[in-house]
Amino acid sequence: MTRTPLRPLARILQARASGENPDLIERENLAWRHEVIRDRGRARSEGRLLFLAIFFMLAFSLVGGRMGVIAASQPQEPKAEASGAQILATRADITDRNGRILATNMLTHALYAHPKDMVDPARVARELVELFPDMDQAALEKRFTDGRSFLWLRRVLSPEQMQAVHDIGDPGLLFGPREVRLYPNGPIAAHVLGGASFGAEGVHSAEVIGTAGIEKAMDARLRDPAQSGPLQLSLDLTVQATVEEVLYGGMVMMKAKGAAAILMDVRTGEIISLASLPDFDPNDRPAPITDKTAEPGDSPLFNRAVQGMYELGSTFKIFAAAQAMDLGLMNPETMVDANAPMRWGKHLIKEFKGKNYGPLLSVTDVIVQSSNVGTAHIALQIGGLRQQAFLKQLGFFDPSPIELIEAPGAKPLIPARWPDIVTITTSYGHGMSASPMHLATAYAAIANGGIAIKPTLLKRDTPAQGIRVMSADTAAKSVSMLRQVVTRGTASYGDVEGYAVAGKTGTADKPKKTGGYYKDKVINTFATIFPANNPRYVLIVTLDEPVEDSGPEVRRTAGYTAVPVAAEVIRRVAPLLGLRPEVDFTPVDQITAVVEDNH
Amino acid sequence: MSFLEYRIKSAPTGLRKALHLHWALVLLICAVASVGWLMLYSVSGGRADLWAEPQMTRFGAGLFLMFFVAFVPIWFWKNMSVLAYGVAMLLLLYVEFFGHVGMGAQRWIDLGFIRLQPSEMMKVTLVMLLAAYYDWLDPKKVSRPLWVLLPVILIVLPVVLVLMQPNLGTSLLLLLIGAAVMFCAGVSLWYFGAVLGLAGSAIAAVFETRGTPWQFLHDYQYARIDTFLNPEADPLGAGYNIIQAKIALGSGGWGGKGFMQGTQSQLNFLPEKHTDFIFTTLAEEFGFVGAFSLLMLYGLIIAFCVISALQNRDRFSQLLILGVAANFFFYLAVNLSMVMGMAPVVGIPLPFLSYGGSVVMVLMVAFGLVQSAHIHRLR
Repeated sequence: MTRTPLRPLARILQARASGENPDLIERENLAWRHEVIRDRGRARSEGRLLFLAIFFMLAFSLVGGRMGVIAASQPQEPKAEASGAQILATRADITDRNGRILATNMLTHALYAHPKDMVDPARVARELVELFPDMDQAALEKRFTDGRSFLWLRRVLSPEQMQAVHDIGDPGLLFGPREVRLYPNGPIAAHVLGGASFGAEGVHSAEVIGTAGIEKAMDARLRDPAQSGPLQLSLDLTVQATVEEVLYGGMVMMKAKGAAAILMDVRTGEIISLASLPDFDPNDRPAPITDKTAEPGDSPLFNRAVQGMYELGSTFKIFAAAQAMDLGLMNPETMVDANAPMRWGKHLIKEFKGKNYGPLLSVTDVIVQSSNVGTAHIALQIGGLRQQAFLKQLGFFDPSPIELIEAPGAKPLIPARWPDIVTITTSYGHGMSASPMHLATAYAAIANGGIAIKPTLLKRDTPAQGIRVMSADTAAKSVSMLRQVVTRGTASYGDVEGYAVAGKTGTADKPKKTGGYYKDKVINTFATIFPANNPRYVLIVTLDEPVEDSGPEVRRTAGYTAVPVAAEVIRRVAPLLGLRPEVDFTPVDQITAVVEDNH
Repeated sequence: MSFLEYRIKSAPTGLRKALHLHWALVLLICAVASVGWLMLYSVSGGRADLWAEPQMTRFGAGLFLMFFVAFVPIWFWKNMSVLAYGVAMLLLLYVEFFGHVGMGAQRWIDLGFIRLQPSEMMKVTLVMLLAAYYDWLDPKKVSRPLWVLLPVILIVLPVVLVLMQPNLGTSLLLLLIGAAVMFCAGVSLWYFGAVLGLAGSAIAAVFETRGTPWQFLHDYQYARIDTFLNPEADPLGAGYNIIQAKIALGSGGWGGKGFMQGTQSQLNFLPEKHTDFIFTTLAEEFGFVGAFSLLMLYGLIIAFCVISALQNRDRFSQLLILGVAANFFFYLAVNLSMVMGMAPVVGIPLPFLSYGGSVVMVLMVAFGLVQSAHIHRLR
C-alpha cells in the first residue's frame, strides 16, 4: 500500500525556506488522509447497503414468483397417507337381504423381517419359536443370518400375537397391515359365500380375492372401488340358519351322508336359503380332497345344491303331466293306461315294489300315486322332441345361471341320443341328471303361474321378468295335483297345518361307477310348493343315501325321509317368511255362556 | 455528531418537524394496517369487535408513539441506546424466570393492559446499540477481531436467552438483524464466510444428534423441520397448517374469491388464521392481485427506508434505518415463505396484518426512530 507521506520532504524544505510552519503541512495532509479513509468507508458501507437492497429485491421477487405459481396451481385436497401405506383394495361387505353381515373385513397384521436390521437374530429366532411352536428355530436362525434383507414370517397375526412379537422388541421384526375376510356367522351359508384368500401380497397390503362361491363369482363387483356399498344377497340369515339346522337334524336322523336344500321365492327368483351338508367354516376353508378315488361329494366343499348332479326321480313326473295338459292332449281327469309292468322293446318298466296301479289311472292319480307306467304313456303321447324342448325351456339342459362360481361348471348330464326309451325314462326322472337348483328353478316356473324366471342370489328390488313356459291354467292344475300328492298320495308326511303344502317326491337309485345301479343307495328328493292356494315359495330337500329304519321295515323312499324333513323345514320357516297360516275354524257349537248370579 | 452540530446544521425545530416527516412512509404503514383490519374483520366472520377494533386501537396508540419518537432528536436516542439495550436484556432475563407461558413457550410479561414481549423489544434495541457502537468505533478498526467480538457478544446474548424460551423463530431473526447491521457497517466478508461455514456444520450436528438424549432442539422443532421438508407426510398433524394454507393460496387463484368469501379461512380450516397465517386469507379472498399488491406495499416501505438510509450521512442514522428495514423485511420474508411452504413454521407474525399488540408497538417505535433519523438528518 503506497501512502502519501505526511511530511513530503520537498514541501517541508520549501516551506522552511519560505519561513512557514511545516507542521501545518502535516496537519493538512493528515486531514486529507482522514477524509479519504472516511469516504472509502462510506463508499463501502453504501455499497453494502445497495447489496442488501438488491438482496431484499431478489427475495421479494422470489416470494412474488412463488405467489404466482401457487395462484396458478390447482388446489388439491390432501390425501390421508399413513407412512406411505395404503390398503389397496378394500373388499365390499356381503350382507343378507336384511342387511345383516355375512362377510366383512378385519384388519390384522402380517409379520415380516428385515434380518439386516436385527440386533440379535439368535434371540429373535428363539423367542419366535416360543410364540409359534410350528416354526423351526434352527432354520429360522439360518435364514436370519444368510444375508437376505427381507423375509416373510407369518401371513396373519392376531392382535395378541402381534403384541407378543412386538414385545420381543427387535427392530428387524416388522408388521404390515393385512385385511382378512371375516365370516362372522361361521359355517352358515358357507357354500354360498365360498371363501377368500390373499392374491398379490405386499408389505403394506395384500389383495383379498374370492376363491369360491359368490366371493369368486362376484369378485370384480366386490373389489370395485366405485361400488362402495355392501353386496346384498337374497339370502335371509335367519331362514338360512333354520334351514341348515333342520336339515342337519334330518340328515343325522335319516343317516344320510349328505343333504341339500333350496328355498326360492317363485315370484322374484331370489334364493332365500341355500344349504348343503356337510358344510365347512369359510373362515378356515379345508383343503380340497386330492385323493383321486374319492367322489367329489365326499368333500365338505362340494355344494350338493348346485354341483350335485342327481337323477331326480319321480319329481320329474309333473313336467310330463303339465306339458300334456298344456298341449291340450289331456286334462287332469283323462284316463291313461297304467298297466304294469310295461314292456317297451327289450326294456321292462315297473312300478315301485312291483305294484300295479292299472289298468287305468287319471292323470291326477298318475302323479298322486307316482305311477311310472302312467307317466311313460303320457310322455310317449308328447313325444321326445317336444319333451326335450320343454325341459330345455325349464332350464334342464344348461348350467344354472345362479351367481356361484361353481354353477357354470355343473352341467346337467343329458343322454346323447333321445330314442323313445329315453323319453320314457326321462319322464320319471331317470337317465338324465340335474342339480337340485335346476329342479327348484323348474318348480318355480310352475308355482309362478307358468312363467320361468332366472334364479338369483342377489336381492332383487324389481319384479323379475321371465318367459311363459305354460299357461296359467296348466300351472294351477299342476299345483293342484301336487297338493293332492300331499293330501292323499306319497307325501302324506309333508302336510303342514295351515300352509297347504304341495309337492312331489322322488327316489332315484344311485348309479354305480362301474355301471348299473345300487340296490340300497338312493337319492331322495322332495320338491314342494307352498302355500298351494297362492304359491310363493319352492323348497327342494335332497337327502343323499338316507335310510329310515326306525320301524320294522327299512324304508328308503322319499315319502319317509325327505318329506318329513321338508315338512319340518316349512313348519319352522313359513312363519319367518311372514306367511300367515290358514286355519279352518270349526264351528264352536257346544259351548254355552253361563252367567252366574251370585246374589 | 454532537448536539452542537445538530444545532448548527439541522434545519427543522418544534412543530416544523412535522413538515419534514417522511409522510410517504407514514401513509404506506397506515395503508398496510388498514388491509390488516379488513382481513381481521373478514376472518372473524364479519365481526369488528373481535379482532379488528382492538387492533385499530393499538395501531392508533402505536401511531401516537411513532410521532412522539420521531419528534425527539435522533442524538437523544443514540445516547439512550445502551440503556434501552440493558432494559430489554433485563426484561428478557425476567421473562426467563417469571414470564407467562404462551403456546408452550415463556414469552410474555403481563403488564395488565398489554402483554409485553421483550424479545420483540430486543429487535429494536439491538439495532440501536449496534448502530451506536459502529458510529462510535473508528472505521479503521471495524474488522479487527476484538472489535468484531464485542458486537457478536451483544447479539449472541439475547439470541441465547430467546432460544431458551424457547422461540427459535425470533432468535434466528435477532441473529439475522444483527448480522445485517454488522454487514452494512463494513465488517470484513471473511467473518461472514466463517460464520456461514460454522452454521452449516452446526446444522449438520443438530441433525446428527437427533434422536439421541443430547439432541439440541425440542422434538416439536424437529417435527416442524420435518413437516417443512415434506408437509404432505402428516396432513392431519403438524403439516395441517401448511397444507391448508397452500390450499387457501391456490384456491384464491388470480382474482380471489371476493371479500368474506374465502372458504378455507371462513370455515375454520385454517389454524392461527388471524395471526401468523392471515396472509392466506388475503390470498384466498383477493387472489394473486391482492397478495401481490400487499407485497408491493411492503416493498415500497423497505425501498423508502433504504433510500432514506442512503440520503442520510450520519452513520448511526444510516445503520439504524437499515437495521429497522432489515427487521421489517425478515418479518415478512419469514412469514410469507412459511405460509407458502418455503420455510418451516416458526411462528413469526406478518407485520401490521397479524393480530397482536407487541409487534405493532415495537414496529411503530422502530419506524418512529426511522422518522426521527429522517427529520434530523444532516442537510
